[in-house]
Amino acid sequence: MASEVNTDFLQDKKLDSIAADILRPVGITQGFVVWMGFLGVSLMGCIYAYYIQWDKGLIVTGLRDYISWGMYIANFVFFVATSLVGMLISSVLGLIGFKWVKPIARIAEIIAVAFAAVAGLVIVSDMGRPERLANVILHGRIQSPIIWDVTVVTTYLTISILLYFLPLIPDLAISKGRMNHTPKWLQNMYEVLSVKWQHTPEQYRLLLKAIRILLILIIPTAFAIHTVTSWLFAVTLRPGWDSTIFGPYFLAGAFVAGSAAVVIVMYFIRSNYKLDKYLTNHHFDMMGKLLVLVSIVYLYFNINEYLVPSYKMKTAEAIHLHDLFVGEYALMFWSVQLLGLVLPIILLLFSFFRKPFSMLVISIVVLIAAWFKRFLIVVPTQDHPFLPMQYVPKAWMVYQPTIIETAITVGTLLLVIIIITILVKFFPVIPIWEMAEEQHELDHKSQK
Amino acid sequence: MKRYFILLIIVLFSMQLSAQEWVVAPAEAALKSPFAFTDSTRKAGEVIYVANCKSCHGDPGKNNVIQLVPIPPDAASVKMQANTDGALHSKLIQGRGAMPSFKNTLSSTDLWRVISFMRGFNPKYVQEVAVPTIGSASAQNVSIKLNWNKTSGQVEALLTSLKENIAQPVAGAEVKLFAKRFFGNLPIDEARKSDALGKVSFNFPKDLPGDSIGNVQLVVKLTDEVAFGEASAEANLTVGVPTNRPALTDQRSMWGVLEKSPVWLIFAYVLAVLTAWGFIAYVVLQIRAIYRAGSKE
Ligand code: HEC
Repeated sequence: MASEVNTDFLQDKKLDSIAADILRPVGITQGFVVWMGFLGVSLMGCIYAYYIQWDKGLIVTGLRDYISWGMYIANFVFFVATSLVGMLISSVLGLIGFKWVKPIARIAEIIAVAFAAVAGLVIVSDMGRPERLANVILHGRIQSPIIWDVTVVTTYLTISILLYFLPLIPDLAISKGRMNHTPKWLQNMYEVLSVKWQHTPEQYRLLLKAIRILLILIIPTAFAIHTVTSWLFAVTLRPGWDSTIFGPYFLAGAFVAGSAAVVIVMYFIRSNYKLDKYLTNHHFDMMGKLLVLVSIVYLYFNINEYLVPSYKMKTAEAIHLHDLFVGEYALMFWSVQLLGLVLPIILLLFSFFRKPFSMLVISIVVLIAAWFKRFLIVVPTQDHPFLPMQYVPKAWMVYQPTIIETAITVGTLLLVIIIITILVKFFPVIPIWEMAEEQHELDHKSQK
Repeated sequence: MKRYFILLIIVLFSMQLSAQEWVVAPAEAALKSPFAFTDSTRKAGEVIYVANCKSCHGDPGKNNVIQLVPIPPDAASVKMQANTDGALHSKLIQGRGAMPSFKNTLSSTDLWRVISFMRGFNPKYVQEVAVPTIGSASAQNVSIKLNWNKTSGQVEALLTSLKENIAQPVAGAEVKLFAKRFFGNLPIDEARKSDALGKVSFNFPKDLPGDSIGNVQLVVKLTDEVAFGEASAEANLTVGVPTNRPALTDQRSMWGVLEKSPVWLIFAYVLAVLTAWGFIAYVVLQIRAIYRAGSKE
């Protein structure tokens, strides 16, 4: 990101057409109402499921004494993982100076905000007595990674929200006069949120400085959030979790899931909003390359994580690995590794598959596999505690997610989609001022 | 060729069997309890069973044993009951694999009591009691006294028995010395026989940790319960090295309560939180500055 902005682009005619393109879909449309109606009604069903759980407790789930972390925690890890992409794209790639991330950065930030915000709720859904939530803080021990996790998730969410909001401010000001097709309350909201933005050089200087601080600050925070999440497992002495590379392993996996999520959202925005001019084939091509890169890194960590223990085959570890490789979880394990990791890597090496639609299909497969991957990390380990399971009913020794549990998990996903839809529908998804500035510079250079 | 093959299979197969079977020497298998099994021995045996065996072998007849390899048989099972009394006694003393040896934890009499409890689940069982060996130098009601001989650095046991109300030394009786631990007993020195004065001297190690003033709880036991009956004595002697370990939760640690958390951790946590939120606060101030700058225009 440049440290100074040439505000000449404000006088450029091109700004009008760019703003018109990007602002056209903003506001309440029929499609939006139908889509939100669908999401809302589905969410009601899931909230009812949660009401049952609230009333009866976790007995309505498949969780019992031995396998006490199931779908919810797997889902939590998945959410945290997916949200990390905000840091990867706007911060790491942006600071290095890749120009192509500009129109995608805000999409990545939206994904970060939506997933990080709901991740906290997912944890609450895993609590049998959610009304005692405050006890986590009141009686928390600073030695517990759970406290570190709570701290760092909150911090990451706050920074992500700011990183979404700050670059939006000039856009809100630009949009003000061009929003006649939208409801009055939305225009008022723009007025408030644009914090008296006048495009003065002084304001740009302050804004760019603040953004720069956040872009740097979010890197250690994002590393911390997912490393700490991985420590929730890695500090527990159990086969499958007792690993020193869990931090980087989780981070690498997070970038895979996040990149896939960005591609999916990009695809729907491009096709629904007719924004092919801004989200071009080139952007999909670059995202494809990014996905290959992070997938290869993740594959490398997977090989480390499974090959080393399976070479030694320590007794407890062997039982766990047997379950994954040829036992109960073999089908899920190999589908995730082959369909969700190896195959996408091979396909995306060819530019033929880095086209928007095939990227969409591949990304959906990758994202689904990413969810099941978290399930494979969380659940099978608990099937084999070091001390044998005794004196409990047979049903308590295996984990079978219930319908209620599944509905609540689906509900959290719906919530994420609702947040993304609202942000995408009520605010410009592509940074208008950055696009206009870039265009202005390009035109200027060619004139000279 | 084919015959060799069959032979090989038979050999392998029988090896497999013998690997699982637990054979006891015939002399030991022939051993019998010195006392008859009664309701009171069964009761006493049940207490010992619940404390020492149930965690693995479960409740007799309920088949709720722990899933180890090999599986500990249920006490009421045919496999268990097929053992002679002597075989059970011997297996309890020896132990094998996950099955612990109770040689140093339970006295011979206690072992017979557990066996009497387990036999209660076998309706077909008929007990044979050992015939007391005639002419053995047996003395009954032996009592033992433990002492610490500072000059020789040895622990001494004195064995006496009352004959016509006069204490007589018991000679030729074998005794063992133990130090009590958190679980079971730690054998000290070897089993030794008493001399003509009824005295036994055990060499005592110089580096055994005791409590804060060096006290060690010692136990001495007669081994030949058939000839001499059951006798043991305990004494708390200052023979160990004084050991003053603070409790694990006394100092700051990762496993302590919040107030006992490590200083470096508090420092790192507070520093990280203050840094991150300091910058966040600074950014929020920038937004305010932007607002101010805009209001002036
Ligand atoms: C730590 C678990 C554990 C405890 C405690 C334990 N056992 Fe065992 N026991 C085993 C196992 C395992 C075996 C099978 C050993 C083998 O076959 O190699 C076994 C075998 C035996 C056998 C031999 C059965 C046969 O194969 O003929 C007897 C007898 C026995 N146990 C009695 C007892 C008694 C009595 C106690 C309590 C004083 C006890 N065990 C405590 C685990 C245990």
